[in-house]
Amino acid sequence: MNRNLQLGIHPDADKISVFVEGAATAREREKMLAHLAECAECRKAVFLIQPHEEPQRVTATPEKGWMWRWLVPVGLPAALACGLIAVLVYIRPHGVSKTPQPMASIRPPETERPGPTAALSSNLEQGAPTANADRAPSINSEQVTGSAGRQDGLAAKAATNVSRQERPMASGLNLPTSKSEQATANVAPQKTGAAPSVVGGPVTDAARLSDGISTVTVSELPLNGRNFTELQQLQTADTKGAASQNALAGKKELPALQIQAASAQNETLAGISGRITDRTGAVIAGVTVTLRDATGKKRQSTTGTDGSFHLMQLPAGQYELTATASGFKTSQQSIELKPSELAMLQPVLDVGAASEVVEVAAGSSAVAVQTESANVSGQAVAEMTGAHRAITLPSGVGIAETVSHGKRFLSLDDAGNLFLSRNGGKKWKKVKPQWAGNAIRIELTSGSVSEAAAQKPKDETSGAAGEGAVFLLATDGGTVWSSKDGAHWHKQ
Amino acid sequence: MELAPENPRLPEMLAEELWRVAGSELVEVSRAEFAEALETIGARDNYGLDPEKQANERQRETFWRGLHLEELAIARGCALGRESAWRRFLAQYREQLTRAAIEMTGSAALGEELVSAIYSELFGLTEREGRRWSPLLRYSGRGSLMGWLRAVLAQRRVDQYRKIGRETELGEIEPAAAVSEQIEPKKLGDLRVALKMTLSEASAEERFLLSAYYLDQHTLHEMSRVLRVHEATISRKLKRATERLRKQLLRTLKARGLSRRAAEETLGTDPRDVDINLRKLLQKSAGAPIPDKEGEG
Repeated sequence: MNRNLQLGIHPDADKISVFVEGAATAREREKMLAHLAECAECRKAVFLIQPHEEPQRVTATPEKGWMWRWLVPVGLPAALACGLIAVLVYIRPHGVSKTPQPMASIRPPETERPGPTAALSSNLEQGAPTANADRAPSINSEQVTGSAGRQDGLAAKAATNVSRQERPMASGLNLPTSKSEQATANVAPQKTGAAPSVVGGPVTDAARLSDGISTVTVSELPLNGRNFTELQQLQTADTKGAASQNALAGKKELPALQIQAASAQNETLAGISGRITDRTGAVIAGVTVTLRDATGKKRQSTTGTDGSFHLMQLPAGQYELTATASGFKTSQQSIELKPSELAMLQPVLDVGAASEVVEVAAGSSAVAVQTESANVSGQAVAEMTGAHRAITLPSGVGIAETVSHGKRFLSLDDAGNLFLSRNGGKKWKKVKPQWAGNAIRIELTSGSVSEAAAQKPKDETSGAAGEGAVFLLATDGGTVWSSKDGAHWHKQ
Repeated sequence: MELAPENPRLPEMLAEELWRVAGSELVEVSRAEFAEALETIGARDNYGLDPEKQANERQRETFWRGLHLEELAIARGCALGRESAWRRFLAQYREQLTRAAIEMTGSAALGEELVSAIYSELFGLTEREGRRWSPLLRYSGRGSLMGWLRAVLAQRRVDQYRKIGRETELGEIEPAAAVSEQIEPKKLGDLRVALKMTLSEASAEERFLLSAYYLDQHTLHEMSRVLRVHEATISRKLKRATERLRKQLLRTLKARGLSRRAAEETLGTDPRDVDINLRKLLQKSAGAPIPDKEGEG
């Protein structure tokens, strides 16, 4: 019994947290609500647990988002209607000229029996989504859910059985919402197929979850609600967009979901990039950077001449990063990588015996520091933790490659978009492609490239690649482009 | 904790895999200790199923895989007094815990005080049956460890608040006393009986909503965060509950011999009186249907 609270039996912290996080079963939730209705102390505790509201995060809208939102529901039908009207306008004068008839004599038959115009307009009705509005009044959200459920009974079951607390929202909202919920539930089996690419790596929560779902029907899961929460996380801006397209596309649900699954998989991968310097700010080349995941699996990289290192295609999770260089103290950092994030690190190595260890723990949400070396000053610790920053590209797609020179970072996402940051990864701007096709590889080279050398970047003072350093880019069309500032590119 | 012989064991292959995934080695939790924790939790929570159901092998596996395994390993390691587990715990949660405590108490000093009290508890300074006992043993991994820590903090905070603020709190509800004198005792009695009957028929969720909104004066937004639904849904549910309550009350009052008009009048009495009755009716803490007791782990 919780002896501190008032007399009587009260739920323990575990039961309360499971309830608050929405992981309780329907029965547990019911019991908890019944208790909370009567127990003022527990009710107070439940409300206290809620974290203070954080300012709403502004997430970058995907570049194509608005186009899809407007083009699909409005643009396409409008274009189709325009095309048909144009055809009508083109055909009718010719037809009339061949068999001239007074308008008054044409009109009545049009309404009574379908003539050519009526046939065209009925085609128009069938083709345009607005025609569905005629049937729409008879379709409510429940019916749609039910009919879609017949197409995919498993997903429908999941959508209705998975989480009790989500039902009021679904019932209160309209068709696209219930569709998107289904789509969310549908993602899991699709995703499972793509998941094995992470074989051998640390198994993330989502991967574990999808493993479970691949063998068990969602409705069978002894849902503690958490699984549903995980599924919900997959419903990112992209998947929401895809789901609303599904609502419009109707029968084209499956391909859209496959796209969702693919994008969800991309979003689980993250990366670490950084530059290692000494206390004076000079870069250190040849530092061995070892990344160890929770299972103990290691990945290694060595810093280049510019002191930078990159470890990409990493599943989200907890990692230990160790930087070792002869003549310097070994630096250790604990990093939590979130899906599709690029962690930017700038470890500073202190001169000293290699056996001395500096341990830093950092997370993307909270930063806590522990030092084991008495030689590290408070300022040094602050510098090291402050240097860690996790970023997400505006496209929201996973990062394929990143190169940096000074504060200038160039990052290529999985969709082939190139992004440039001039301030060490704080702000990103999409680089307008001057090449045909998709960029597939980027590199930083110190060699001389004639065209690039001829370039005169406008903002040399703001950190354009320095003497001899040139960014190179390869496209899937086999062309190579070079740039000194990452913004202006020249074909090689 | 000893398991009853009929409790199904965790398959060895799965135990090994989950132990690895959880990174238990890094927090010095052995395979056997971790497997025991998983078996205990599974049996205690019936693998997330309703008590009358029996989990099959697949459901058990899904339950175990769905747990926050890494956080569970850290919690177990800490409860067992492993140093590396504590290092990890402090690195990941120290700052968040302090921030949460300051948020809850509204003061840095009180927050620090609350956190240090929690630490001594978590370190296992208390003893049960002659053994060192840490509440971290009760963490099941079904929710996040931070969520669990927040719940512990909130419970201790409420306890502190109750000790300090009981008199003040009771003082806040006095104004109704003066008003109640103007109401006929019979009408008030009828209303009380009618309310008792009506509320006993209300669902748990409705009673929670009424208590939280009318007694504790929480906002719709706050309630929506607790129940994880949109505040419009809370508003709709509350409206539905109060309408139903009103209709039911009228019916009950009429059944007790009041005319429709008299029943309406009775309901039209100062809401603060109704509020007092509600408080008395709802705020009884005994007999709460939560079977689990803290500290059994």
